Amino acid sequence: MSWRVWVLIFVLILSAISIAPWGYLEKGALIKSVEQNSTAFNEGLRQGMVIRALNSEEVDNMEDYSRIMSSIFPVQNNTKLIIQTKTQEFILYTDEALKITVSNIPKTNIKTGLDLSGGARALVKPVNVSLSSLEISDLIVVTSNRLNVFGISDVTVRKVSDLSGNNFMLVEVAGATPTELKELVAQQGKFEAKIGNETVFIGGKKDITSVCRNDAACARIESCSAIQQGDYACRFSFTVYLSEEAAERHAGVTKDLGVNVTEGGKYLDKKLDLYLDDKLVDSLFISEDLKGRVTTQIAVSGSGVGETQQDALAAAQNSMKKLQTILITGSLPYKLEIVKLDTISPLLGREFTKNIILLALVAFISVSLILFIKYRKLKITLSVILTMFSEVFITLGIATFIKWNLDAPAIAGIIAGMGTGVNDQIVIIDESVSNLSISIKERIKRAFFIIVGAFFTIIAAMLPLFWTGAGLLRGFAFTTIIGVSVGILITRPAFADILRKIQD
Amino acid sequence: MKAVYPGSNPGRRTSKMEQNQNKTTEQEGKSWFDRWYKLLMTIPLAIMVISLIYLGIFFSNHNDFLLKDVSLSGGTTITINAEIDSSALEQQLKSEFPDVVVRKLTDLRTGKTIASVVESSAQPEEFQKSLEQILGYNLTEENSSREITGSTLGQNFYKQLIFALIISFILMSLVIFIMFRTFIPSIAVIFAAFSDIVMPLALLDFLGIKFSVAGIAAFLMLIGYSVDTDILLTTRALRGREGTLNQRIYKAFKTGILMTLTALAAVLPVFIVVTGLPNSFRQIFLILALGLTADIINTWMTNAGIIKWYCDKKGIK
Repeated sequence: MSWRVWVLIFVLILSAISIAPWGYLEKGALIKSVEQNSTAFNEGLRQGMVIRALNSEEVDNMEDYSRIMSSIFPVQNNTKLIIQTKTQEFILYTDEALKITVSNIPKTNIKTGLDLSGGARALVKPVNVSLSSLEISDLIVVTSNRLNVFGISDVTVRKVSDLSGNNFMLVEVAGATPTELKELVAQQGKFEAKIGNETVFIGGKKDITSVCRNDAACARIESCSAIQQGDYACRFSFTVYLSEEAAERHAGVTKDLGVNVTEGGKYLDKKLDLYLDDKLVDSLFISEDLKGRVTTQIAVSGSGVGETQQDALAAAQNSMKKLQTILITGSLPYKLEIVKLDTISPLLGREFTKNIILLALVAFISVSLILFIKYRKLKITLSVILTMFSEVFITLGIATFIKWNLDAPAIAGIIAGMGTGVNDQIVIIDESVSNLSISIKERIKRAFFIIVGAFFTIIAAMLPLFWTGAGLLRGFAFTTIIGVSVGILITRPAFADILRKIQD
Repeated sequence: MKAVYPGSNPGRRTSKMEQNQNKTTEQEGKSWFDRWYKLLMTIPLAIMVISLIYLGIFFSNHNDFLLKDVSLSGGTTITINAEIDSSALEQQLKSEFPDVVVRKLTDLRTGKTIASVVESSAQPEEFQKSLEQILGYNLTEENSSREITGSTLGQNFYKQLIFALIISFILMSLVIFIMFRTFIPSIAVIFAAFSDIVMPLALLDFLGIKFSVAGIAAFLMLIGYSVDTDILLTTRALRGREGTLNQRIYKAFKTGILMTLTALAAVLPVFIVVTGLPNSFRQIFLILALGLTADIINTWMTNAGIIKWYCDKKGIK
């Protein structure tokens, strides 16, 4: 066998390693996300680790993890929890379940795009300003932070730019779409607490040292009640810890206010107005004893409304979480708009995936059939089919290896490539069986002139797609270019050698 | 080799012995092509002229060469994972959203509806609300998918895609010129590629198909994929050493048709066997299928004719 055939075999093996369903062999629960600054985070648990055992009880999958966790927690006091991952052991003391999300280990490393696996994709652009690369990077940090604080896992945020030099932020969330996604990514998040016209504090690190979350002692739903027309409203309240500077500002503004005496108690004559993106969220009475005092603890409240009490409760919880998130992460110096928002139901994605696999099979069979009808030689037909298969396989292998998300256009590129990839082999066969007066080497050389020409025209044609449409069509260009490159560099030279062997 | 092909230009001449051998077998086909190739060229040229005129009229009516779907013009697409009477739904929505279109995605093997696709240039909020009222239930991310594109972004995408299409056509042309280094044969290839785009475009416009982002990307792919038969033809005709010019063209034809057929074999099942696929997917394949079909006549009637003419003039036999 020639070295070219060996190269093909070698690359095929590498691709097989890359695609192989190793997930079936591996046991454990994969960590999808770890909440920042939680106990788990501080102890060193990170996304991507695989939990094998909890308190020496084996974890084979996600269900095991949930079962064991709920059997241990809730507890009253801090308990010891031993977490065994693939490589390390973590010991931590906690009184609540870990603030991490886990999933089953994916069966293969092939990554499918959102249009096939389900999820949401938002393309975000600031209104009326164009951002530099640096500003976009800042935006990405704030947005990632927001999504993380809010608790959305499995999300990627990255910069994309297009041919006209526009910079966008692309947010992709796998799996089910959180309903708050739109607000979380598009909201400027400008939080202001005002008394009269004077700003007391704003969201972000400068004025707010910390925000109470997930602790019923200082963040909770206070009351629910029926309001008009059968609607319900629930009020939430949580404590915010102000910086020294903001606390003094509060003292300065309140010290000159008058006092109103009402049935409910004594309050200052102006309220603390909370604005989110210039919209009034809530107005709070300030109790008399806060007048002129430097206080670093302030309760922020608001409400959620719904048709049933349960809806109202959920709405209030969501609003609270959103407000907490924005107070922690601060605001952005510009307004944002979502210019494209796609949410794909995982259900439909599964249906599509099924159909695409079927289509690939049908295309494979019909191409093979035509070749067999034409050549009627099993050896030749088989070697063409094998080459076609190798090209698809290696393309998938490369895509998997570099963790490329295969979306519908990318797979369309692969399938269309199956038919056209065979073209070059047809050229090789027809050149090699024709005109026996020229040496086979010479004939194959001429075949390669045609093939190389066709190769460069495809590259030339697909290249511009890389920079078009905010990169949403990159997958299509990518698989096509990888496919033809694999063809010309690896499979077709090997195929030509095999054919030479058959001819001899 | 020199013994087989004597003379100063060995590639362009066949030995007497071989010519005699071929005379009896190829004479009929040869004379047929010699006589009719110019007339054959008029068929695709006529189609091309009709297409261009149609596109001209289309442009003056719509101020553009194609109809854009919501991914290019801005709007909302909602895909509902349920079996719905699509024509009734369309009727109900029409009063409020005049440009609404409802399509069904069916699994052809079982005839089962996989999903219904509802499209309109309307704002997503009000559109979804009306839709939910008609359906009688709320649309969640479990039972439906949404694609919302802002109109500015859509137009921006469209401009960029057209720009990319032009760039890719120019790059392809450059590759062809570098390969053949002769003006007329190169132009013939480029003209065939141009026709491969114009004919499907005119047909799809005529059928009222709305193009998506993926659809225009398919045209780029078409540019790359459709010229390989033209390259094959030109290489065999100009650089071939065996047989007469007609034999070489005929041989290239046999190889090229097989190439196009296998490409179609990969593309066509989308329309006959597997139908429950994303819209982006279907449009890519539809355009490739039409382009490849157009390529058969553009390569083997127009391009082959020009090459034959050129070789006759240049004395290449």
